[in-house]
Amino acid sequence: SVACCSSSRPCLAEPHNSFHLPQERKRTHILVDSREITSGSEVISSLRAIHGLEVEVCPLNGCDYIVSNRMVVERRSKSEMLNINKNKFIDQIQHLQSMFERICMIVEKDRAKPGDTSRMFRRTKSYDSLLTALISAGIRILFSSCPEETAELLKELSLLEQRKNVGIQVPTVVNANSHKWDALQFYLSIPNISYITALNMCHQFPSVKKMVNSSPQELSMCAQVTHQKAEEIHSYIHYSFDLQMLPKP
Amino acid sequence: MERSLPDGTGPIYVPLGHIVACERWRGSQLAQEMQGKIKLAFEEGLTPVDFYLSNRSCILYVTEADLVAGKGYRKRLVQIRNSSHLQGIVLVEKTQMSEQYFPAAQKFTVLDLGMVLLPVCSQKEAASLIIQLVHEQAKEPSKNPFLRKKRAQLSEPSLLQTVQQIPGVGKVKAPLLLQKFPSIQHLSNASMQELEHVVGQAAAQRIHTFFTQSSDSAPRAL
Repeated sequence: SVACCSSSRPCLAEPHNSFHLPQERKRTHILVDSREITSGSEVISSLRAIHGLEVEVCPLNGCDYIVSNRMVVERRSKSEMLNINKNKFIDQIQHLQSMFERICMIVEKDRAKPGDTSRMFRRTKSYDSLLTALISAGIRILFSSCPEETAELLKELSLLEQRKNVGIQVPTVVNANSHKWDALQFYLSIPNISYITALNMCHQFPSVKKMVNSSPQELSMCAQVTHQKAEEIHSYIHYSFDLQMLPKP
Repeated sequence: MERSLPDGTGPIYVPLGHIVACERWRGSQLAQEMQGKIKLAFEEGLTPVDFYLSNRSCILYVTEADLVAGKGYRKRLVQIRNSSHLQGIVLVEKTQMSEQYFPAAQKFTVLDLGMVLLPVCSQKEAASLIIQLVHEQAKEPSKNPFLRKKRAQLSEPSLLQTVQQIPGVGKVKAPLLLQKFPSIQHLSNASMQELEHVVGQAAAQRIHTFFTQSSDSAPRAL
């Protein structure tokens, strides 16, 4: 098929371990937020059972699914999209935009509840305006009819990202009593850092000191982020703390 | 006014607030629904495009019949995808009859071609969606909440949080350390002796270890 939208991504060096022969290619990884265990158990089991994906449940803090180093996927039911608290939703999307280069929304049809014979969804103007605003902000939207189809779409998205060399390459499990775990918590506290970026830092830098003293170029390569994001992280690490600037309790 | 090229993907002039529609839509329900709410201009020979929202963006309308008939509609999509200056938005009639063909159409349009796809149930729904798309494009980008930049936040509270993630450092030691070593980078390069001046020997050791220990080493002793 034709390659998907032109990659605006700056040329990042590929991760060191991406040159596997096809037959020994690693299984595709997807990170799932722990909240999805309750609301999306069918999605998670489909991903594992039908598609054989490596699914890791992590505290993603408001991101439903992370399918690559740069892409987050939000899963919403159609009824949620129709009766949305717009301000809350805007805040949430902006939060995701601060961490991820690409955002995709999957709008899933609600399950028909037993006894609920013909509740038709009336398309509203606010629903249309929400969709068009998301589109013009470059957020992708996919439509799904059931959790199983959502899982299929998630798989397709992560395979697509993998083909573009931005697939998740690092181990997604971190032992809770290790130095890696401490480092992960430290990296996660950097503002506007996604869980996968923190994981990449954990695995690609030999020590925290090495990460802290690296150049924006090294950060961009090891953490698998854009140059702009790397500059942002770099300036945070070098920011000079001023006690006077702390908000008074 | 520029004329469209023979392949129909050439530049087309669309006055603000207008839609240029392909002649074949004249008299259709879709056109009737839009007329009165928005100015519609019909033109011949726009194929493969159905509607132009602006000179850069257009709509390809895939009917229920197109979808059921097979993959013929795909050629039109590819034609627009390959034109460098046009952004194509694909509207698909997703009805009870065409529903089963929708997933394949979506996969092709969004995942393979990277185009925008929106399902509609009827021409009536399509009309209001197209009007919404025109309104959205006429708006200032800054009016779109998803394009608004978030205000930059002060780094000080975050820095305190980050330093508190170092084992052995809590609410009390974090500001002390940052006053002496004002950035994360300064702190990471502090020697044991320098750290001991601010915190006790045990804490200094833990901080120093946290920064320098190789992450590949064995699990830490509890």
